Amino acid sequence: MDHLLEISNLTRRFGAVKALDGLSFRIPAGQVVGFLGPNGAGKTTTMRAIFGLTDLEGGSILWDGVPVGPAQRRTFGYMPEERGLYPSMHVAEQLTYLARLHGLSASDAAAATSLWLEHLDIADRADSKVESLSHGNQQRVQLAAALVHNPDVLILDEPLAGLDPAGIDIIGNVLVEQAHSGRCVLFSSHQLDLVEDLCESVAIIDHGHLVASGTVDELATQGSRRMAVRIEGVRDGEWARTLPGVSISQVSGGEVRLSVPENVDSDAVLDAARSRGRVVKFDFERRKLSEVFREAVQP
Amino acid sequence: MKLLIIAGAFILITVLRLIISRSRNAGRPRNPLSALGNLKLFGDIGLIAGREIRERFRSRMFRLISALLVVLVCAAVILPGTQSQSTSERVGVVAGSPTLATELQAVARHLHLTVTIHSEADMAQAREDLASGKIDLVLEGTSRIIVRSALSATDTSPAAAFVRDIATLLGEQHAYAAAHLTPDQMHALAQATPLPITSLTTKKGITTTGEATALIGVVLIFIVLGQYLSWTLMGVMEEKSSRVVEVLLATVRPLQLLAGKVIGIGFVALTQALSLVVVALAVSALTGSKVLSGSAPVVILVTLLWLILGYAFYSWVYAAAGSLAERQDQVQSLVLPLSAPLIFGYIVSLVGVSTGSPSLLVTILAYIPPTAPFAMTTLVGFGEVTWWQVLISVILSLISTVLVAILAARIYRAAVLRTGGRVRLRSLRIRAPH
Repeated sequence: MDHLLEISNLTRRFGAVKALDGLSFRIPAGQVVGFLGPNGAGKTTTMRAIFGLTDLEGGSILWDGVPVGPAQRRTFGYMPEERGLYPSMHVAEQLTYLARLHGLSASDAAAATSLWLEHLDIADRADSKVESLSHGNQQRVQLAAALVHNPDVLILDEPLAGLDPAGIDIIGNVLVEQAHSGRCVLFSSHQLDLVEDLCESVAIIDHGHLVASGTVDELATQGSRRMAVRIEGVRDGEWARTLPGVSISQVSGGEVRLSVPENVDSDAVLDAARSRGRVVKFDFERRKLSEVFREAVQP
Repeated sequence: MKLLIIAGAFILITVLRLIISRSRNAGRPRNPLSALGNLKLFGDIGLIAGREIRERFRSRMFRLISALLVVLVCAAVILPGTQSQSTSERVGVVAGSPTLATELQAVARHLHLTVTIHSEADMAQAREDLASGKIDLVLEGTSRIIVRSALSATDTSPAAAFVRDIATLLGEQHAYAAAHLTPDQMHALAQATPLPITSLTTKKGITTTGEATALIGVVLIFIVLGQYLSWTLMGVMEEKSSRVVEVLLATVRPLQLLAGKVIGIGFVALTQALSLVVVALAVSALTGSKVLSGSAPVVILVTLLWLILGYAFYSWVYAAAGSLAERQDQVQSLVLPLSAPLIFGYIVSLVGVSTGSPSLLVTILAYIPPTAPFAMTTLVGFGEVTWWQVLISVILSLISTVLVAILAARIYRAAVLRTGGRVRLRSLRIRAPH
């Protein structure tokens, strides 16, 4: 049976602010799940709740049907938003220490530390103090700290923030590898293009509750279809305004992008275009994740 | 001089050992105290404590302070010893009486001094020898005593006591002569001894060495507590400000993290205190110092006991306070109210020791856990408590420590993950740790 982390009906208030308002979603094993939402939507609070770092007023977090407690969390890996390592401790020693806190023996912890330092291309900094590393390398060490005990669940808060393309590639590949080896991987990010590239599915939250979720493909194709139409000699999209339900989302360089509801027959759109001239482009386009996101979190 | 050479050699060896161990560890930071890596035997708390111990032993500040304390302890043991050593007094005599030499020898013997008599031709010669340091004092017959520099009222050295005793002796002789006493009468008066003074309550086991050791113990407790409690406070604050606490608490419970830190730093503190005691005993044995003889071993044990109890009580308080702050400047405002009972207990006890008679206040403070480490150590040094009184104080301290630890763990849990400024106690939702 594949593992499953299930978040159900979480609620949490900070004073008058509802940080989590009945939030529910699932993180299945084997997928990289993107966790999206505007600032203050409740992403970090949710991740902290998984690790018992914030008190919940209601709801449950289940791992394979069992409420998550200290024993389960020992098999989880966490990379917090505000990175956390001992600045003056040496990299390898710190990773070994954290691995041992997760239950590894001294020799296993040392072996896992070497493995991850190699894998993340920072083996040469094993004996350096964390504070002496660049931001990107500290980020890698932080990721290694989340991975060093071979966790079943990986929860990462903004792991790609501030990284250069090489760093993004390395960490992105690790996330995909981890998911494909049967782990649950949840990560938050505001870099939606990267999320679209890395994730199989996403959960989008706003004001503490889920506003959209599903696979990236589902989200890109559900709802209104996007069509791109180009008519020889016609630079505007006025011809489309007569079509009921169809809206013009963009007119650029003689190409018109339309949002076409599912109940509108695409042949009607093609006929309307032909009535204006010779149609040289008539194409269905996927919605980008950024568009899905904007639609989902519209105030 | 011999003693100073021994002390100097000891300090030199200690410092060299510190330097050598540091240079050995420089190239291999992973395994300087590898045995501590196996504290997994004691669970997560053992691992956390092991990390604290490794990091503290490795820190430059620890080594520096340790070296400094070793020097201070050596000085505390050796210096009183050098003062109490039998020394020689050279007395220049101008026109002395036939019995003067015998009388001077008797006074000197009483003070564990030896006396050499130098017959001076005249006062001019005597003054010249005194000024040049050939002699230590001049007796002009039995009518005048001249010393190189004026005696301080607080100078209690044997040499000063010798001068004062001679002055008293010769003054009495002049008085006897003026009263026309016979030699027998003069002898009878010279044999006069003060009446013994007895009280309703007898003092038990009081020795000057016990009192001296109590003084050293009280100072040691204050220095060690001050150092290690501030480490606890800063350690918690640094874990909070570096956000590593969030990673740790994702794995271990707040109480485990707190207990590991308190135990780890406490272990380092106890190790340092024990090392200092061993150094003090070794130096004492090497130099033949009397400072740690008599009832002092009991006081040493009591000092170590109260060091542990004092640290156990205060460390939770300081750790909880550290969780309220995330910057150095925020810590400053927390330290003063926390240190107040420590400083109060220390000063009252110190005054008690220095006056040679602990006050009623010291006795009261000996049963109040925040001040008991100092006050009870003082009372034991003076032999003014029985074993069951110490036991009562220990039990009170242990009960308070448990209560303080429970409250501290709740404050810590509620505050350590709150960021964005100093956390006010009032704003915390303090709950029982899960």
